[in-house]
Amino acid sequence: MAMGDIAFNLLIFFVILARAHDDSHLQWDPATTKIVEPSGAAKASLLIDMDNKVYLNGQPIGIAQISSEVGEILGETKAGERTVLLKVHKDVPAMFFQPVIEGISEAGGDLVHVLEKQKE
Amino acid sequence: MKMRNRRSKVLVEPPASATGDIAFNLIVFFLVCASVQPDSGRSQTLPRSEEIDEQEKVENIEVQLSRNPNTVMLNGDAVRTPQLVNRLRTLLSNKTREQDKVVIVKSKPETTYFHWIDITGKIEEAGGIITIQTEEEREVRIE
Repeated sequence: MAMGDIAFNLLIFFVILARAHDDSHLQWDPATTKIVEPSGAAKASLLIDMDNKVYLNGQPIGIAQISSEVGEILGETKAGERTVLLKVHKDVPAMFFQPVIEGISEAGGDLVHVLEKQKE
Repeated sequence: MKMRNRRSKVLVEPPASATGDIAFNLIVFFLVCASVQPDSGRSQTLPRSEEIDEQEKVENIEVQLSRNPNTVMLNGDAVRTPQLVNRLRTLLSNKTREQDKVVIVKSKPETTYFHWIDITGKIEEAGGIITIQTEEEREVRIE
């Protein structure tokens, strides 16, 4: 019985650890588009929430640090595997999301906008 | 008699010691279900800054976005959003080189992401290559 408890506690520990790098707790509504493709595996995920706050892999980050931080994560990863997901709340104004796009571009990331398929 | 025997076998309760294992397996099952949802969206290739400098020598198509989602400015002319794809296709039809197909997207600070995604999608649909240009704020002192 103790083995089951140990396994259970280990599982809870790893779930909490994973959530620290996760952005599922942040609030945002994706913009919609006609055609969406699966994004595949990503090296990093940037999110701008309803309050126009920017997060890198679930952690708050300043706009000025995006290029260097994303560049550090991407490192020497070869082309085609440098995917960076960008999740932006649909009503965020350009003054917040454009510098983020520029930061990803400067870091040499392959930008993928995370969007929802438009309902017909 | 046979029927009664079969029923009694089905109604046997699992041993109490197995409840921990059952709970553990249920948690693993729901965790896997929750994490399997993949993200989907649209990839976008933006030319690096050094490439843009070269392209600025060429006369590129310019699209200006504002807060109004119904119209955009195409090379200074107001165009209704549904007509943008056709207008861009006409402009891009005589351009053969990749650098000529670059469409500069200028956005007012209040332009929403939803509108920006809609318009950049239309530019790509028309065969344009997107590059973004931000307006820098400059302080001018008049003496």
